[in-house]
Amino acid sequence: MTEPTPETTPPAAPESLYRREFLWAMGGLGAATAAAFAGWGGLELMVPPGTADEWHKSTCRFCGTGCTIRVGMRDGEVVDIRGHEDGHNKGVICVKGTMLRSLPKIEGRLTTPMIRKNGELVPASWDEALDLIAGKFKEVRDAHGPDALAFYGSGQLFTEESYTANKLFKAGLRTNNVDGNPRLCMASAAAGYVTVFGKDEPPGSYEDIDHADFFFIFGANPYDCHPPLWERVQRRRALRREAFVVCVDPRRSETAKRSDLHLPVIAGTDLLLLNAMAQVIIADGLTDKAFIDRNVRFSHDGNTIDLAAFGALLAEYTPEKVESRLGIGADLIRHVAHRFAKSKASMSLWTMGVNQRTQGTRLNIMLNALHLLTGHICRPGATPFSVTGQPNACGGVRDTGSLSHALPAGRVVANPEHRAEVEKLWGVESGTISPNPGHHAVSLFRAMESGQVKAALIMCTNPGQSMPDSDRYAAAMEKCFTVVSEIVADSETAKAASVLLPAALWVEKQGVLGQGERRYQLVDKLLEPPGECRSDLWMLVELAKRLGLDRLIKAHTPQAVWDEWRQFSAGSAYDFSGMSYDRLRALPGLQWPCPTEQHPGTARRFVEGSDPLVKPGMGVQFYGHKDNRAHIPFCPYVPSPEQPSPEFPLYLTTGRVLEQWHTGTMTGRITELRDAAGPARFTVSAVDASRRGVESGDMIVVTSRFGDVQGRAVIDADMRPGLMFAAFYDARLLVNKVVADHVDPVSREPEYKLTAVQFRKAGA
Amino acid sequence: MEVSDVFRIFAGVFSVVGLGLCLWLARVDFSKIPAERKVHLGVATLTGLAFFKLLALAALFAVPVVALGAANYHTIEGVHGVESCNRCHVMTPMVTDMRDPGSETLAARHFKNGWIPKDQCFQCHSDYGLAGDLRAKMEGYRHLARYTTGTYEEPIKFRGVFHNDNCLKCHAGTPKFVAVPSHATVQGRLAENSLSCLNCHGRAHPTREQRTPGHPDYTRLIGGDE
Repeated sequence: MTEPTPETTPPAAPESLYRREFLWAMGGLGAATAAAFAGWGGLELMVPPGTADEWHKSTCRFCGTGCTIRVGMRDGEVVDIRGHEDGHNKGVICVKGTMLRSLPKIEGRLTTPMIRKNGELVPASWDEALDLIAGKFKEVRDAHGPDALAFYGSGQLFTEESYTANKLFKAGLRTNNVDGNPRLCMASAAAGYVTVFGKDEPPGSYEDIDHADFFFIFGANPYDCHPPLWERVQRRRALRREAFVVCVDPRRSETAKRSDLHLPVIAGTDLLLLNAMAQVIIADGLTDKAFIDRNVRFSHDGNTIDLAAFGALLAEYTPEKVESRLGIGADLIRHVAHRFAKSKASMSLWTMGVNQRTQGTRLNIMLNALHLLTGHICRPGATPFSVTGQPNACGGVRDTGSLSHALPAGRVVANPEHRAEVEKLWGVESGTISPNPGHHAVSLFRAMESGQVKAALIMCTNPGQSMPDSDRYAAAMEKCFTVVSEIVADSETAKAASVLLPAALWVEKQGVLGQGERRYQLVDKLLEPPGECRSDLWMLVELAKRLGLDRLIKAHTPQAVWDEWRQFSAGSAYDFSGMSYDRLRALPGLQWPCPTEQHPGTARRFVEGSDPLVKPGMGVQFYGHKDNRAHIPFCPYVPSPEQPSPEFPLYLTTGRVLEQWHTGTMTGRITELRDAAGPARFTVSAVDASRRGVESGDMIVVTSRFGDVQGRAVIDADMRPGLMFAAFYDARLLVNKVVADHVDPVSREPEYKLTAVQFRKAGA
Repeated sequence: MEVSDVFRIFAGVFSVVGLGLCLWLARVDFSKIPAERKVHLGVATLTGLAFFKLLALAALFAVPVVALGAANYHTIEGVHGVESCNRCHVMTPMVTDMRDPGSETLAARHFKNGWIPKDQCFQCHSDYGLAGDLRAKMEGYRHLARYTTGTYEEPIKFRGVFHNDNCLKCHAGTPKFVAVPSHATVQGRLAENSLSCLNCHGRAHPTREQRTPGHPDYTRLIGGDE
């Protein structure tokens, strides 16, 4: 810049100078702004792309928690899975759900139909396979009657599939031999709910965990088996100091280790605990009298009795009288009963430790009864809750009545009115549905063994590994014409198949899953299945056509079946007619009852204002029974038929581990899960091991009255003497070979949790 | 008082002094400084002109350089604080939730239990090392640009990939972490961020639904810190 001299400067000069400086300044400002915007633009471009290009709402394929998830897709493949933050699970899933991304691409997928010829399974076309099945089914029906046919389904089929199979067999082929793996899993829970409330399925929701102050975790191990639920319990404890967790389990499970109080009852005696708690609650005046007077009915041997008489019946279950058999001191029983009754809101959570028992129905009844006696029900946080094991045992099987004694929406085969209603709804002539209940699971496989059942269709389940006394029933399948719809060719069930049908799985097909809290969620198809794989619905529809039953099975797409079933439910206590596919697609699921397309769904059942089926002014209405009361029959303790003896002095109990699910057909083929769980092993106590000269890592032979099995032993310092444990996910340790197949007299669910066994070092 | 605060006060005073010096010097006519005028500065004696030239040098170069440095330090260090994030109201729901002892989000649990003593936002949203710090600053600049230009919509959405390193830098190798067998088998996926820690361990912040104007929780979350 030149220094202007004041004497010679013309008057205009300062102005031009100011303009120039102004322009400079503006230019500078412009450049700075441009740089700022360029920087911003550059940074916008530098944001890394997400892990997936598009995200779809879906539902986890594994356990009955039924977590809502987001499926991330890129280039037509599933590349990421996230918990859905708006789902009931609030974004939390477990490692199994996280690894769903690998499920469609597991090794060994069965991609073509196979037919057994000269003892070997050889590839075949769909037409060949379906014609063979239809021909064989007709031949068996004509020669031996419809009850020589059977369907064995799964709590993992979509609802549309179970509903169609149920209709095809019960109204089309006219046999009630329709059962499935939910019989092995939650039949006792269903029987308990039906006895107590008149209708199946839990009254509460997972949301109750956020409000409960006392958790009674009974015969359940949510840390391993329902991790998102356990995480929710943990969060409640973190927020609420008063929250107290009691875990009742003969084994010191991962859940027991993390609970405030572990009651290690002697295996098989836990009904004594429930009866003793009921006795204490009544004797110590901890009952909610007003609630009982209005809402509860007691009975004994079919006769209605009052609370005092019910209390008197429990006199033989005082804590002092049961403590030595139960293995829990009387004071502790009293303490827990008082805590249960006096907490602001008590929630019970139970699963297979209760259901898979010869006393399963009674245990379920008494768990519900503790809540009714104390009024810990129908309030936020106060509820009995049977947690389920499979993603669609509730919606797909229990609600559609796809069990041998049942018909859709809470009806039963044995009731002529129910049969007539269903015949009318299905548009079939009166008398089509057989009045005889079909074979329940264990009975069905025995019927295959005896030759009563000659042809069976098995879908989406692995009874070759999951049935108790599994060697016996795997052999039974081989005696029968067994059609198996499977995802792999080498499962224990596939090995016994006469015909193998390659099934699409999870997001390779479309349908609805109904999890443990009455929530129905839509799984949309996102992928084409590999090879010749087809949905189970497609198989059933094609089979119906070949059996000449296409007039009955008119709905051929998932949505058409859903709409038929939705209309069917209208007016029943299971009414979900307000759940269209569109709504289910838009929302993270809906809980029934949900009778209109405007209804938000029902979180708390039997409660006015939440449940649309409760009459205004009733407050609480247990409408499942005609007298609007919940029903508590007296449930005496009956010891299990499996009792330790000098020959079999130990109890074996079975279960699951966190990273594996059920028989491991899926999770056992996903590297991250398989390696995390490692091979299955027998967990034994140090005392029992040393008495037999067994050290950790040794191979042992476990024998029971049902067979023997060899596996590696691990000594667990927390295992009590007299008890041993094995998970059933590993086909290399088929623990069910030795597991007893006694069933509950009401629910017909087998007693997986209790087998008297002996073990010895292998080779000794 | 922390070092950064001392530094900030010092820089503020320094800038004000510098500005005063500039204004004062602008009024000095250098040609009229008498040549014989001497200024005594303890050990040295300067001519008046030299003294004022030195002062001018300080006012025009030295003081601005120090002030600029201090301003940059303030920008780099100061924005580490939670308050700095909370200045944009779209972040307020996260901060309110984090400070809510009744909240069950990961952020709130870390805050409540004092697992991260200070600069809680920054600690989980900057990747490990200097580059992580830089990336966080760049992301912060992008947020600032969006916010000041109003080119955003509520509820805001996290873009990109949240790096598991932010969790692993504290949790990896701890006994609790090692005790979970699947942590080992998914280690590769965690490292490449193709599998999120948040899947099993829950949401970090209020849901998008809660952060949407009109949601019952929105007013509480946006209502401020207290």
